[in-house]
Amino acid sequence: MNPMDAMEPGNLGGDPKRGGMAWWRGRGGEPSGAVQSFYSLPDGLPPEAVCNGTACFVARRLSPQTWNEAERQSPRVYCLGQCFGGPARRMGCPRPRMEVRGGVGIVLERLSVGGARHLEEYRSRGGYAGWERTLSRKPQEVVAEVCDSGLRGRGGAGFLTGRKWAVVASQVADAKFVVANGDEGDPGACIDRYLMEEDPHALIEGMLVAAYAVGASHGWVYVRCEYPEAKRRMEAAVDEARRADLLGPHTLGRGRPFDLTIHSGAGGYVCGEETALIRSLEERRPEVMPKPPFVAERGLWGRPTLVNNVETLAVVPWVMRHGPGAYRALGFSESRGTKVICLNSLFRKPGLYEVEFGMSLRRIVEEVGEGLVGGRELRGLLVGGPLSGIVPPALLDTPFGYEELRRIGASLGHGGWIAFDAHTSIRELLRHVFAFGAEESCGKCFPCRLGSHRISEALDGALGGGMSEASGVAILEALRRGSLCGLGTGLGELGESVLRHYGKEWAACWA
Amino acid sequence: MLGVILNGQERLVREGVSILEAARSAGVEIPSLCFHRGLKPSGACRLCVVEVEGWESYAAACTTEVAQGMRVQTHSEGVEAMRQTVLELLARAYPGAARERLREKPFQRLLRRYGIPLRAGGEEPLPCGSAGGNVAFRDDTHPYVRADLTSCIGCFGCVRACEEIQGQFVWRVWKRGQQTRVEPVRETLLASGCVGCGACVDACPTGALEDVGGLEPDGAAEWTRTVCPYCGVGCELEVGTRRGRIVQIQPAGDAPVNRGHLCVKGRYAFGFVHAPDRVTRPMVREAGRWKEVAWEEALGLVASRLKVAIGTLEGRCRVGVLASARATNEENYLIQKFARVVLGTNNVDCCARVCHAPTAAAMREMLGTGAATNAFEDIEEAEAFLLVGCNPTENHPVVGARIKQRVLQGAALVVLDPREIELARYGGVHLPVRPGCNLPVLHAMAHVIVAEGLVDERAIAERVAEWDAYRAFVAEWTPEHAAALSGVSAGGIREAARIYARAKPAMIFHGLGVTEHGQGTGGVMAVVNLALLTGNFGIRGSGIHPLRGQNNVQGAAHMGCDPGYLPGGLSLEEGRGALEELWESPIPRERGKHLLEMMDAAREGKWDALWAVGYDIALTNPDTLRTREALGTIPFVVVQDLFLNELARDFGHVFLPVCSSFEKDGTFMNAERRVQRVRAALAPVGYARSDWQVVCALAQAMGRSRGFTFESSEAIWEEIRRAWKGGAGIDYARLESGGLQWPCPTATHPGTAVLHQTGFSHGRRAVLARVEFEPSPERCGEEYPFLLSTGRSLYQFNAGTMTLRTSNRHLRPVDTLDMAPGDSMRLGLAEGEPVRIQSRHGEVVLRLRLDEGMQEGQLFATFQTPEAALNRLTGPVRDGAVGTPEYKVVAVRVGKVGSAEWREGVGEAAGSLGG
Repeated sequence: MNPMDAMEPGNLGGDPKRGGMAWWRGRGGEPSGAVQSFYSLPDGLPPEAVCNGTACFVARRLSPQTWNEAERQSPRVYCLGQCFGGPARRMGCPRPRMEVRGGVGIVLERLSVGGARHLEEYRSRGGYAGWERTLSRKPQEVVAEVCDSGLRGRGGAGFLTGRKWAVVASQVADAKFVVANGDEGDPGACIDRYLMEEDPHALIEGMLVAAYAVGASHGWVYVRCEYPEAKRRMEAAVDEARRADLLGPHTLGRGRPFDLTIHSGAGGYVCGEETALIRSLEERRPEVMPKPPFVAERGLWGRPTLVNNVETLAVVPWVMRHGPGAYRALGFSESRGTKVICLNSLFRKPGLYEVEFGMSLRRIVEEVGEGLVGGRELRGLLVGGPLSGIVPPALLDTPFGYEELRRIGASLGHGGWIAFDAHTSIRELLRHVFAFGAEESCGKCFPCRLGSHRISEALDGALGGGMSEASGVAILEALRRGSLCGLGTGLGELGESVLRHYGKEWAACWA
Repeated sequence: MLGVILNGQERLVREGVSILEAARSAGVEIPSLCFHRGLKPSGACRLCVVEVEGWESYAAACTTEVAQGMRVQTHSEGVEAMRQTVLELLARAYPGAARERLREKPFQRLLRRYGIPLRAGGEEPLPCGSAGGNVAFRDDTHPYVRADLTSCIGCFGCVRACEEIQGQFVWRVWKRGQQTRVEPVRETLLASGCVGCGACVDACPTGALEDVGGLEPDGAAEWTRTVCPYCGVGCELEVGTRRGRIVQIQPAGDAPVNRGHLCVKGRYAFGFVHAPDRVTRPMVREAGRWKEVAWEEALGLVASRLKVAIGTLEGRCRVGVLASARATNEENYLIQKFARVVLGTNNVDCCARVCHAPTAAAMREMLGTGAATNAFEDIEEAEAFLLVGCNPTENHPVVGARIKQRVLQGAALVVLDPREIELARYGGVHLPVRPGCNLPVLHAMAHVIVAEGLVDERAIAERVAEWDAYRAFVAEWTPEHAAALSGVSAGGIREAARIYARAKPAMIFHGLGVTEHGQGTGGVMAVVNLALLTGNFGIRGSGIHPLRGQNNVQGAAHMGCDPGYLPGGLSLEEGRGALEELWESPIPRERGKHLLEMMDAAREGKWDALWAVGYDIALTNPDTLRTREALGTIPFVVVQDLFLNELARDFGHVFLPVCSSFEKDGTFMNAERRVQRVRAALAPVGYARSDWQVVCALAQAMGRSRGFTFESSEAIWEEIRRAWKGGAGIDYARLESGGLQWPCPTATHPGTAVLHQTGFSHGRRAVLARVEFEPSPERCGEEYPFLLSTGRSLYQFNAGTMTLRTSNRHLRPVDTLDMAPGDSMRLGLAEGEPVRIQSRHGEVVLRLRLDEGMQEGQLFATFQTPEAALNRLTGPVRDGAVGTPEYKVVAVRVGKVGSAEWREGVGEAAGSLGG
């Protein structure tokens, strides 16, 4: 057999140095199907898709029929980004409430007043002013300003954005890349979705600034396939930007090019992890890779690559327009500026809200969300999606900030808030989240591949159930402290918080 | 160095190493199931987790670099509990059926260490882990590798090994989550492009993948480190034996050449050693029949016949010895010494004559040393490769894999070869040159380099001579001119020249596709020109690398098995004085006859005796009919070999059975000038003797024991050190810790990886060669419309003497004629059909194989089975300088074979094709 038949494009052909993917395809190579088999939605999102996400799960009683459909659906679709309206189906999705609460509107500056889908609209509301100011500065000054703003990665890890930029900027390489992580897979969050759909130029502008600052020549926006509309709108906006010479061969000044490619995912939660995302872009199996090397040093096709979350990049134009001090002035402690959170449909006022760091969780629950729908009693709150610790009602006075949440065993995550009530038992919640984890694990690291499945199986009471509580605890500990990426550790943290705050319910799982 | 505190003890460790490596070097073993030497750490199994003070998460020791002041606990209660937990999860999914059989595999040993029981045979495993409810992959169709993935734990070691070492991409990970499973890309390994290197087997911790040889109930009892008996790469092996038989071979993990990797020949094709038709007693032919005799009788006969033959001065010019590229340096040294001292003749040659003699001649003349300029270690340093007339992934697979890896990492690649060889498919430029037209293309590349100012000015100014004359010479070699002659596009030539000249450092590898031509020596000179022009010499990652075909062909020639050169590559004039003193004997003044000149003389009835050691010229010499005509006239032919080869069968008078390299001590010299130790893993089979013992005994029988009395191969080596200054610093003790590359003149000299660093070995500037192109007389026309090249294949080695006696026979049973599909359509020939090939010199019948990598009008055939006897087609054309035959250019025609005729059997081919 022709050895090329055995190659996947990513093994070499996608390298732009070799003329890109077209070169490989021109050699008659056909993917084996192994990479495709990783994805749950290789043919895209079906129009009749129903959401299996955690926000929809905890709200299943609001529409049992929709949830039943979701349970029967194959493959499962974890999160359509309609958490404000769960249980959700793709068809007939309404626009969520989007409001700025307290402080200044930065991320939702335009979304809160209807969005800015087109270039003219975006420009008329201050768009690309930050970019113009950027061009009057040296790249290292831009990096310094982003550093000074105190902006941290909004994807969940909370790494200081400017520091990441500085690492990429300091690399010497024949090419560098910028990637916007729009694989917003965390059930409970739909912030990036609406940024891409209704304020796409904010992301483009942010990527331009980033490319200029770090010296990148090309960018990719990785959009999950569950957001087909976001992909369409991004592509249209990129076309507009090209026509306006914002993207193209000379856009970074001094003849330096920058252009964008919109890449669609194919269904895989783990692709939101940056090393898996890079491999997915390379059309390789999107496994999580150990770090180092960090993608900032060796990322896409081995080149230094800046991977930032969509929301993070969308904040950058504001920082460049108003200066780092203005941003830094907002927020508190180590958490500066604002953050968009997404309240699920069990809140009386679900939707997207931009809040300043430092507000207490209680104020957000009670004043922003106005409590739970129908006066239900809050049993627990996930503030960073399902792969983080549960905040019990007793800890609602914790202020909203990265370190503050870590301290109570939770995490800020990407801002997907899922409140659940007495209708969902801890056992049911764990079973749901671990089934999700087992299905979405990339299959590489042993604790995650084996442990997530084992717990989910045991909670199901099916095949080989009857696990001892001690074994359960040991697996949770292995997941939390020993996994390769955030998927496994997140599962472990969720379990750990149950042990900590819901001891009785935990014991009941194994009774 | 960094200071770390490992389990409470302060340690100094190298910067950049992982915690796992640091711990291992401190004698602390951290368990792992996915960490393998030679593979990038993957951090998958998480068994190597350790506690680092101040870190909330455990650190995977394999992927975490040590840092100054790091405090690490490798076996804390927490990480040990985690290991226990992960192993329990794995054990749960492990099939009971494998428990007994795979007891000693690393996975089960680890389970036992942690006291984790496995379910008993018969009990079904629980669906968890890699199989995930799917039927696990099994394959028992490969003769050497057995796959049964029911016991796979999903570490992906096989996938990574295939990708990162061999670059073959056979294994794949499918699906995700608990459904994740490992399977090849097609239904069987062979259908998936597996080349049988065994790297996946070595990476497998469970026994899901195993060597078929390793399945023998007892496995190996002893392991012996030695050097591979096949190609000139010189991979080091660990040979596993039990009760006098080889049961398994594994790569030596720390070998500089192969770094824990092997190819299908070196790893698996050892069965010939124990082949049933191995001859293990001396034989003499009486009345046409072979008769077994005692050694004394056989040697006595040879001695008396040779004595008669060399009785006169004229007689001494009519006897000859052919040494062997399969024998050790010590043996080859002794064979040529025997010829010169005992027989009193310089008529001694070896198979370098038919392969790289042109390389040795060209490089010696231009650079001062007729051998590779650099080391294989440089492959990872090179930014570009130019491959000329070689097919490394088939013929030098371990080097081929290393080049492929480097290319996958982004090094540029230019392939100049009539065929689209495998590497040509990995990017860069392929120049499909018409056979016989290397010289125009190489000159045109030089033209582009000169015309476009891509020369290395400093190299030209300081190291090169006759630059102006050369510049004027290549000015005429425009790419358009070369294109018209060679069939390669002018644009392709320009692009290739730019790629090679702009990337620095760049390495050139060349093979017999350069040398086996009427202008072989000129072709090599044109190759050397390119390196000189671009300054690609004397630095790491550059140079000119002849890929030597046989394990010790470099050594055989270097030990003086050449009619015009003495040990150390010295000409008769240069070396005579010192050697006459050392040998206490005169050395004949006249240059001797080389192999083909011996045949010429024989054809005229002017040859009296031939002694051929491990060299089947009846099969491998060109122009078989004339060769056989010549051999038929020689009154006394002694064949020294493992098997009754074609030469012995049809022309031999005495047969002397000798040891394979697995049965003896000594040294080999690989293609990068590395001298490595060969060690006996087995006692001699039957009554076989080492070649050096035979030479010594024969000398004694001829009354010359002085200078031929040795106790061991090491004693011979000690004499070689006195005969060859460049090897004086190499002794067996130093070779215990790895090979040495010559020159290595003193006992403390570290050896020389890169030649010509500050000056060329001949002490002069290198003269750019102006070689006029002379087209081969083998031309196509109406009568003979195709040009045929001959060569070998991955699974068979040269004349097939060894590989045809192994299961490689199942992997490639017959020789084939490879043809472009377009030509086959035009001729109405189908794949697999037997076809008749006729040249001006003879005809053969082969099975047709269609190959899209072939150019129309060109053909390729392998020459590896006696049944095919392909050299009936090749002709009398020889290299003008050193006489190497033009195996690579034969004008032929191809036609159908009538079915009646086919059944009668053209030659013996009919019988063998089913095999």
